[in-house]
Amino acid sequence: MTAATLPGFPRPIVRRRELGLLLAVAAALALGNLSLGLTRAGSLTVVDPAGLLIYLGALVAVHLALVTAGRRVDEVLLPTVGLLGGIGLLLAERLPQDLVVQRVGSTVLGLASLQLVWLILALVIAAVVAITVRSDRWLRLYKYTWAAAGLGLLALTFVLGTDVNGTRLTLDFGPVSGQPSELLKVILVVFFAAYLAENRVLLADARVRVVGRLTVPPAPYLLPAGLMLALALGIVVIQKDLGAALLFYAVFLCLFYLATGSKVDVALGIGLFLVGFVLLALVFPHVRDRVATWLDPWSDPLGTGFQTIQALHAFARGGLLGTGLGAGLPTIGGQLPIPAVHTDFPLAALGEELGMAGVLAILGCYLVVVARGLRIAAAAADDVRALLCAGLALVIGVQAAIIAAGNLKLIPLTGITLPFISYGGSSLLVNGLIVGLLLAFSDRGPLPPREPRRARRPAGGPG
Amino acid sequence: MDPLTLAVWAIRLAFLASLYLFLALVVRALLRDIRAASRDPAGALGRLVVIASASLPTAGSVFPLDAVTTLGRDLGSSVVLDDPFSSARHAVLTYRGRGWYVEDLGSTNGTLVNGVPVAGALPLGFGDELQIGDVRMRLERGLR
Repeated sequence: MTAATLPGFPRPIVRRRELGLLLAVAAALALGNLSLGLTRAGSLTVVDPAGLLIYLGALVAVHLALVTAGRRVDEVLLPTVGLLGGIGLLLAERLPQDLVVQRVGSTVLGLASLQLVWLILALVIAAVVAITVRSDRWLRLYKYTWAAAGLGLLALTFVLGTDVNGTRLTLDFGPVSGQPSELLKVILVVFFAAYLAENRVLLADARVRVVGRLTVPPAPYLLPAGLMLALALGIVVIQKDLGAALLFYAVFLCLFYLATGSKVDVALGIGLFLVGFVLLALVFPHVRDRVATWLDPWSDPLGTGFQTIQALHAFARGGLLGTGLGAGLPTIGGQLPIPAVHTDFPLAALGEELGMAGVLAILGCYLVVVARGLRIAAAAADDVRALLCAGLALVIGVQAAIIAAGNLKLIPLTGITLPFISYGGSSLLVNGLIVGLLLAFSDRGPLPPREPRRARRPAGGPG
Repeated sequence: MDPLTLAVWAIRLAFLASLYLFLALVVRALLRDIRAASRDPAGALGRLVVIASASLPTAGSVFPLDAVTTLGRDLGSSVVLDDPFSSARHAVLTYRGRGWYVEDLGSTNGTLVNGVPVAGALPLGFGDELQIGDVRMRLERGLR
C-alpha cells in the first residue's frame, strides 16, 4: 500500500469546497486589482501582480497544507478570511505607500509590501496552529497562568512601552514593535471560557436574591471574573485603549450569556457598563473628549472632529456603488483626507470606493466568520471548548462591529483595528492565531469507515 | 460614452458582483452544513439522557452514543463525568450486534444498572437506568 496508510502518516483529505471558494476569492481579487489598475492608469493594467500572486499562492499553500494534514477541519473560514485579507491588501496597494515605511537592511518596504508580509505570516501561523493543535488541555488547565501572563505582558507594556498617538500600547522588540493587548484578547477568551464552563452551573442555579424577583449569582463565584475584568479594564483605561476595553467587556457578556443563558445578568452587565462609562467620562478628560467628538464633531471640524467628519464625507461620496477602487480619497494639499486611514478608518475608505454594496459584503464576511465560529462551538465536545470557539469568533465579530460603528459615528470612535483589513502586524498575527485555533477545534475527527455494502455476488472477495 | 469609462464601470460592478457571488457560495455551503447536521447519523444507535446529577453534566443533558462510548472523569472520555465518585476511566458502553452492553472498567465506586452493581459485560436495554457516582442516566432509543 501507499505510505499514506502507514501509521503516523495521515491520509490526505480532499477539500473541494474550500478550493472552490478559494477560486471565487482569486477571481474577486483579480477583478478588484484590474479595477484599481484601470482607474489608476487608464488602461487594462494589473497593479503589483507579484503581490497578488504571492498572496493567492500563500492561500493555496495553506489549503494544500490542510489537505496533506488530513484533518477534517472547517472549509469556509480560510476563504472568507482570505477574501477579507485580500481586500485589505488591495486597499494597502491603493493607499500612498509612504504611510508606513520600514527599512530591512538596504530595502525599503512600503505599506503594501509590509501588509503582504504580515498577511503571509498570519496565514503561516493559522496553518501551523490548525495542523498541530489537537488538544485544548494546554489552554484550559492553566487558565490562571495564562491570565497572569497576559496581564503581566500588559503591565510590562505600560512600564517599558513607547507612546504612539498618546496611548501607550506599543512594546519595542529591537527593530519590530508589537501591541501585546492584541494577544490579551485571545488570553482573556481562554480564561473566560475555562472559568465560565467550570462555574456555569453555580452561576446559573445558585442565585442570591437582591430585590423582589431580581437575583444575581453569589458573590464568591463572581469575584474572580469581576476582579479579572476590572483589572483588565483598569489597565486598558489607564492606557487609554477604550476600544479594547469595550471589546473585552462585550465578549465577556456574550460568553456569560452563552454559559448561563441568563438575560437578567446580561442586562445588569450592560447597566453596570453604562454607569461605569458615565463615571469614566466624568473622571477622565480623554473619555469625555471622545464622547463630545462623537456627539458633535462639527464643533471642532479641523481638530478633534476632523477624522470623523472626513469619514462621513467619504461614506457619503461613496453612495450605493462607490466611486470605484482608486477613484476616491482626493488628497487635500497633498495629504490624505482621513488621518490613520490604513489602521482606524479602512472601512471609510472602502465605503467611499466600493460604496454601501461593498461595505455590506465585507460586513457579511465577518458575519460568516461569527456564524461559522458559533457552529464550531455548537458541535464542540464540551463546555470549555464550546465557549472558547464562540469567544474566539466573537472577538473578531465584535471587533469588526465596534470599529465599523465607530467609523459610521454610531458609537464613539475607538482606535481598534478592522480584523484582517487594517494595517497592523500584531493585529494580523493574532487574528491568524484565532483562525488557526478555530480551524483546529473544528476538527471532526477521522472519517468514519464507509458502511459495508451487501455483496452482489455470493462469491466475491475474501471473507 | 467612451469605451474606457464603460470598461471601468463594468469591471467595478463585476468586482462588487464577485464579492456577492462569494457570499452566495458561502451561504450555500452553510445551509448545506445545517441540512447535513440535521441528517447526522450521530446518536442513531442510542442516546444517554442525564436524569439527575450533582455536578457536570447537568440533568437534562443528552449524549448521542457512538458504538463504543467511554464514561469517566478523564477528559478523553466520550462522556466526561465531573463527579467526585467517578473514576477516570469508569465504564464503557458498547453496541454489539443489536443491543447495548455496559462494562465496568474496574472503577473504585462501581457502576449500577437499575440499582444493581455491574459485574462483567451486562446487556443494557433502552429505558434502563445507569448510575455512576451521583450521576443517573437513562439509555434511550436513538433518533432515526
